[in-house]
Amino acid sequence: MKLAISLIQVLLIVGTAPLLRGVVARIKARIQNRRGASVFRPYADLWKLFRKEDLVPSTASLLFRLCPVILFAATLMAAAFVPVLHVSALLGDRGDFILLVYLLALARFFLVLGAMDGGSSFGGMGASREALVSALAEAPLLLGLIAIAVVSHSASIASIVRWAISRAPFVLSPAHAFACVALVLVTIAETGRVPVDNPSTHLELTMIHEAMVLEYSGPSLALIEWANAIKLNLMLALLVALFVPWGVAATISPVALAIALLCYLLKIALLAVALAALESSVAKLRMYLVPEYLGTACALSVLAVVFTAFTR
Amino acid sequence: MGLVEFAAAKTLASSAVFLFITVLLIAAARRTATCIALFTAQCLVIMAQIIASAFLYHSSGVLLVAALVLLVKVLAIPYVLLRISRRLKVSQNVSASTTPAQSVFIVAALILLAFAVVQPYARAFALDSEMLAAATAIILTGGFLMVSRKKALMQVIGLLVLENGIFLAAFTTTFGMPLVVEMGIFFDLLIWVLLMGVFIFRIRETFEHVDVSRLRQLRG
Repeated sequence: MKLAISLIQVLLIVGTAPLLRGVVARIKARIQNRRGASVFRPYADLWKLFRKEDLVPSTASLLFRLCPVILFAATLMAAAFVPVLHVSALLGDRGDFILLVYLLALARFFLVLGAMDGGSSFGGMGASREALVSALAEAPLLLGLIAIAVVSHSASIASIVRWAISRAPFVLSPAHAFACVALVLVTIAETGRVPVDNPSTHLELTMIHEAMVLEYSGPSLALIEWANAIKLNLMLALLVALFVPWGVAATISPVALAIALLCYLLKIALLAVALAALESSVAKLRMYLVPEYLGTACALSVLAVVFTAFTR
Repeated sequence: MGLVEFAAAKTLASSAVFLFITVLLIAAARRTATCIALFTAQCLVIMAQIIASAFLYHSSGVLLVAALVLLVKVLAIPYVLLRISRRLKVSQNVSASTTPAQSVFIVAALILLAFAVVQPYARAFALDSEMLAAATAIILTGGFLMVSRKKALMQVIGLLVLENGIFLAAFTTTFGMPLVVEMGIFFDLLIWVLLMGVFIFRIRETFEHVDVSRLRQLRG
């Protein structure tokens, strides 16, 4: 039973990832006074891409075809860490948050490698930018998670969530608050949303993610786009699980699970609205201001770690 | 009634954290309008805290102070500041002498300093150490903002943040000053902001900028 629930959680993150993308795009369109595409449009896009031919540049090696698969697999593994409905996740008790961070790093590494293997100059530019952003985002992500792990005396995501549920609700410790702000900043950078990268451009000199996937087509592109959507969903679910886990079922019963599902959907919907509002109100940062932005996140996460000494 | 008291207790317990976050975000902000919005948010947190303690300790006189905070600090002063910054027609940039990341690091250090300094006092007088640390950190950050920002408007915001800290320190240690004194301070503050507005306009008319680091010589 527990295994079934764990599998359902992974499927929920993986399956609703394109929907989340569609919802954010739709809300953004509404804010900009457009009607916008259907929220199910990303599914149609994926379906279309999966049926198309996979074109490989003549200069590319086997790595080019392999990278999207490894990227998707690593992201899928990372999705198995996050408790969504029930406090236990498929890999939540076995792996710790360090493994989670480095699975995401692995996914990124192969995305960058594939982009450079494509042979176009745009791919190389995107890859170098992505490498810069991920190198700078890794420290605050890891430090923020370390702060929470120290406060909760556990390294695995599932036991952190278990600990958070057992506490009285809405008691904010400074360490938690700082880690939360830092991780929100990192999430925006990691998932390539607006102040750092614009997800809705296809021809812009400053684009990061789109520049990397320019050479990909067909099923490979579909895997990359899906993995990217999963990553956004996974990071949001992680934020929810770490900072506002209330509503997650502690026991396996239909009522508790139904409440957990409702709470989860509500929280993610609120985050989607917040994300769309942020993307519509903030201008994209110039590339050389991105280190500044991530430096702020870094300062906050260092502060969070230091503040664990003051937390009872 | 149980729910109201629950909410009040939670507000009191977590307002220090929100104050820390507003202070850090003011340090990271790049535009004066953002700074003004964050200052307003800070005043809102302080107001929520005053209302919460009024409910918890059953002292309705304190509610009047909360109303004053709402009128003067949440509505009047941000309105005046926004008007000034819009009518000055200079760039919105705060023109800091430190980068946002450096500012956040410095403010983080100031918060830690405040925490370390406040501990013995809080223990001796049985006060909430987090709240007192928040007040001290806000005072220090206000000073830091005034020193490191070159725009004249940012000096005003820095001083207002500093005043917030002093107000909060008085409120946490002695449960607020007498109402007459409190009203006098708020009135002073409002007049002071209006005067500073006029003064900034004069600076701009005379020098055609509001960068205080360039005010180095007399001009007739």
